[in-house]
Amino acid sequence: MSSTSSRPRGHGRLNWAPYALLTPAVAILLAALAYPVGWQLYTSTLKFGLAQQFGQPADFIGLSNYTELLSDPQIWSVIGRSLLFCFINAVLTVTIGVALALLMQAVTKAVRITLQVGLLLAWAMPVVTSMTVWVWLFNWHFGLVNWFLTKLGLPFTNHNWLEQPSSFYAIATAIVVWMSVPFVAFSVYAGLTQVSTEVMEAAQLDGALGHRRFTQIVLPLIRPVLMIVLLLQIIWDLRVFTQIQLLQDAGAPTASTDLLGTYIYRLGVGSSNFGLAAAMSVFVLILTVLLSAPYVRSLLKEDVV
Amino acid sequence: MTVRPARAALARPTPRRRLRPGRLAANLVAVLIALAWAFPVYWMINSSLLPNAVLISSRPRLWPWGGSFDNYAAALASGSFFNSLKTSLIVTLIAVAACLLFAFCAALAISRYRFRGRTSFVLAILFIQMLPAEGLFIAQYKLLANVGLLNQAAGLAVLYTAAVVPFTIWMLRGFVAGVPADLEEAAMVDGCSRSGAFFRITFPLLAPGLVASGVYAFLQAWNEFTIALVIMQKEDARTLPLWLRGFIQASATRETDWGQVMAASTLVALPVIVFFLLVQGRLTSGLVAGAVKG
Amino acid sequence: MKRTKRAVALAAVATAAALALSACSSDNQPNPSDSPTAQNITLWLAGGDTPDSLRDWLKSEYNSRTGGVLTIEEQAWGDLVTKLTTSLPDANNTPDVVELGNTQSPTFTNVGAFSDISDLYTELGGANLLQSFVAAGAVDGKNYALPYYFGSRYMFYRKDIYAAAGVAQPTTLEEFNQAVLRLTQVNPNGIADFSGFFIGGQDWRNGISWIFANGGDLAQKENGQWVMTLSDPNTIKGLQQLQDIFQNASKAPSTAKDESPWLYINDSDSTTDKAADGTETDLPTSLAAATIMAPGWAHWSIGDLVTVDGKPARQWNDDVFGVFALPGADGQPAPVFAGGSNIGVSAASRNQEGARELLRIIFSADYQRMLGEQGLGPANSLYVDSLGSDQFAQALIASAANSKLTPAAPGWAGIEGSKLMEEFFSKIAQGGDVVALAAEYDDVLTPMLNQR
Repeated sequence: MSSTSSRPRGHGRLNWAPYALLTPAVAILLAALAYPVGWQLYTSTLKFGLAQQFGQPADFIGLSNYTELLSDPQIWSVIGRSLLFCFINAVLTVTIGVALALLMQAVTKAVRITLQVGLLLAWAMPVVTSMTVWVWLFNWHFGLVNWFLTKLGLPFTNHNWLEQPSSFYAIATAIVVWMSVPFVAFSVYAGLTQVSTEVMEAAQLDGALGHRRFTQIVLPLIRPVLMIVLLLQIIWDLRVFTQIQLLQDAGAPTASTDLLGTYIYRLGVGSSNFGLAAAMSVFVLILTVLLSAPYVRSLLKEDVV
Repeated sequence: MTVRPARAALARPTPRRRLRPGRLAANLVAVLIALAWAFPVYWMINSSLLPNAVLISSRPRLWPWGGSFDNYAAALASGSFFNSLKTSLIVTLIAVAACLLFAFCAALAISRYRFRGRTSFVLAILFIQMLPAEGLFIAQYKLLANVGLLNQAAGLAVLYTAAVVPFTIWMLRGFVAGVPADLEEAAMVDGCSRSGAFFRITFPLLAPGLVASGVYAFLQAWNEFTIALVIMQKEDARTLPLWLRGFIQASATRETDWGQVMAASTLVALPVIVFFLLVQGRLTSGLVAGAVKG
Repeated sequence: MKRTKRAVALAAVATAAALALSACSSDNQPNPSDSPTAQNITLWLAGGDTPDSLRDWLKSEYNSRTGGVLTIEEQAWGDLVTKLTTSLPDANNTPDVVELGNTQSPTFTNVGAFSDISDLYTELGGANLLQSFVAAGAVDGKNYALPYYFGSRYMFYRKDIYAAAGVAQPTTLEEFNQAVLRLTQVNPNGIADFSGFFIGGQDWRNGISWIFANGGDLAQKENGQWVMTLSDPNTIKGLQQLQDIFQNASKAPSTAKDESPWLYINDSDSTTDKAADGTETDLPTSLAAATIMAPGWAHWSIGDLVTVDGKPARQWNDDVFGVFALPGADGQPAPVFAGGSNIGVSAASRNQEGARELLRIIFSADYQRMLGEQGLGPANSLYVDSLGSDQFAQALIASAANSKLTPAAPGWAGIEGSKLMEEFFSKIAQGGDVVALAAEYDDVLTPMLNQR
């Protein structure tokens, strides 16, 4: 079955049906995004601070915001950190997600539903809610984690997890992975259900075992799901914002823990330097597009999108 | 995400096989992981039932014995929980409905037709997801202020729909592609009308896809708070995440009452969790067992 | 088959149209505040500091004076700047009167967010108003924002632990610095990670008291330009004293802010720790500090654990707890950071008359006294006696006597928003080289000070 074949209908004349079908989606996207994105592009060429926000005329300064950004050494460390964070989180999330999906297949129905409910609970928690709980769990003085580690005899009495960027990122990673794995696990599990039992049993009869069965039969079949899920995780983890911001609010050093999202936010809303923040946003968009371009091209080639 | 309906795997013919040691271990691991994953949720509920004086102690209480619902009463009494609940429901329902409808149409277009601009559209919805939203707040505020939709559920719903629609299109596209058009034609040979074939054959097969995308849209709209913070500034226009944030921050200027904060958190999470548990069967199995083999 | 396609397409177009319609329909709401005599206005209050009883009084007083409706909306401190930035310039959605932090006041005043209320200045209290706050809301001799209330912070301490460690209540800054060091070393109850003085590493608002007390300053205006003065010798001296406290007297995390320090001065809560052999011990589990610095209302959260109406609550106990204002080098109250807020009329508001009337109500003798009775320092010094004469009122008045504000520079709110002050103090708390750090942050912050 080829989903996107040129089907006989509409053949030979201009087919307006797909355009009509796209109209509402395009309309809502234009309505909600055209002006903000346009404003952002325009503002990125202006000297636009709080005074301009309050109505004073803004000076056109061309690409000065961009050159100012790119000459700031801090931005490169923010970008480097963001890329690293994104890569680690995306890979961890997808790996754990696939493992859990395989686990769902391997267990009895009751256990599978238990596991699914456990994942769903995590998935269903609103971000503000789950961040509150996580911050409380890692509270330096009253937190459960320090209490538990201390009970194990480890020197974690009053340990402050948010002080060092490394442990800050470890916690951020735990939270982001905890939140994102359910989506991956369910998507991959749904993909796995496509692998029919006949195929698996045939493979079993052929003597294909364990990891060979996985790499040679299962993996190629769920490859489209995997590639898309990975792409989405990369996009989402690169623009992670709320979790980092709320962790910083809980008392982490901001400059050394900033990722792209919080950096833009502090430039703009925090320091009222909206021109610079807009330039930074545009730059991040370009960066993301460039970074993902090869991957997207291969997706297009394989016809999975 | 391409989730194709396939019966075979869902009705795995392995009901009464003896548990081998490997399977037993897998079951054990799965249960442990389930517990670990749900633990923060448990901890939230546990803390919500205990008085603050018990929580503010370096020895945690692992069980809510002797707890009460006082924290819930206090959380419900302060501020406008039910008003926020209503706003959140309206925003979320509009966003989910609009999103599913628009995305379904678009998914139909890109999976059933080859047309000029298709690839550009697919790329566009991918790139839209890469927009850093943190720089857009001011402009989004100006946009809604200009059309008089500030502090209105409809305005926030428009922004949410636009934020979620690209991904939903993508998700649904996989489901639509998974329903072979041949099936409709076969039904028509059997005497169905074209629309009858669509609604009797194709649409039911898409239900799991619609549920899955709907759940995704629901979650995004229900949980989002950074855009809402800028758009819904009036007290009576707050969504639930804003109510919760307000609750946490207000208590931070006095004495942070963690018990109440956790109770408030539970109240915000509860509707989603209930909704999730209701649809979970459909999400993961059930309806997928349609008429097709992948 | 053609029909279905068309049906789908029609549905698509129809939904788009419906959406477009719904987007337009709510634009033309009647504006109830058209009548000049009875303007309906909105007041934004920051945080929960203004008690409900005062809010209700404001509403009814405004209504009886003007016939209009006053709506009060509470905005969380953490989100206030974001909301002021978006709403204040927007005539359709601006609140009419806003409370904002006194340190945020210069920035918004400088960009023209507030109406000129110089003509009301004398009527509202004039020279009797807290002058440092007035200055934070004035540009070129014109008044835009005025003080709302003050709440300087003072010290809460454990009398029992001071006594057990043989430490007297300090009377000079030097004595204080030594006392908290000694308390930490003696640690009479043998509590792990005990702080003689608990101060978070990011808590610059309390920390700058040491700068001010040593005659230093954060910034100064030179030739019309603001310049950071962290490298000034007096500032450095204060920062070095503070670093000594951070390192040797406080076990607070270097990332802690000024939230809820009273948790650490209270005694054991309802739980006691189990010793390794399983027996219950009486060692307090939460007591972690002998001294904290907090706003006056913290005393509601400090005390013995009692049960009121079946619920646990704190009850102040004079035998165990005490208060004093941080002493300066000369024994007078130290110039601590003047906490509090300002209030102004949005320049974009269409209800200027109503907003000005609300200011008259807020600065009336009645309301100023009500603020004082609630423990909030009234803006008008004539009514400070309404704070009462208990130990909390005395400590508040003493601490406010010499209190100082952050620089009235246009870019100050931006600096606060950037969290660079938190970072600077946190690095000092971690033991960084004070002189090098001061020079580094002087360079970073000076350009931001002048940014409008």
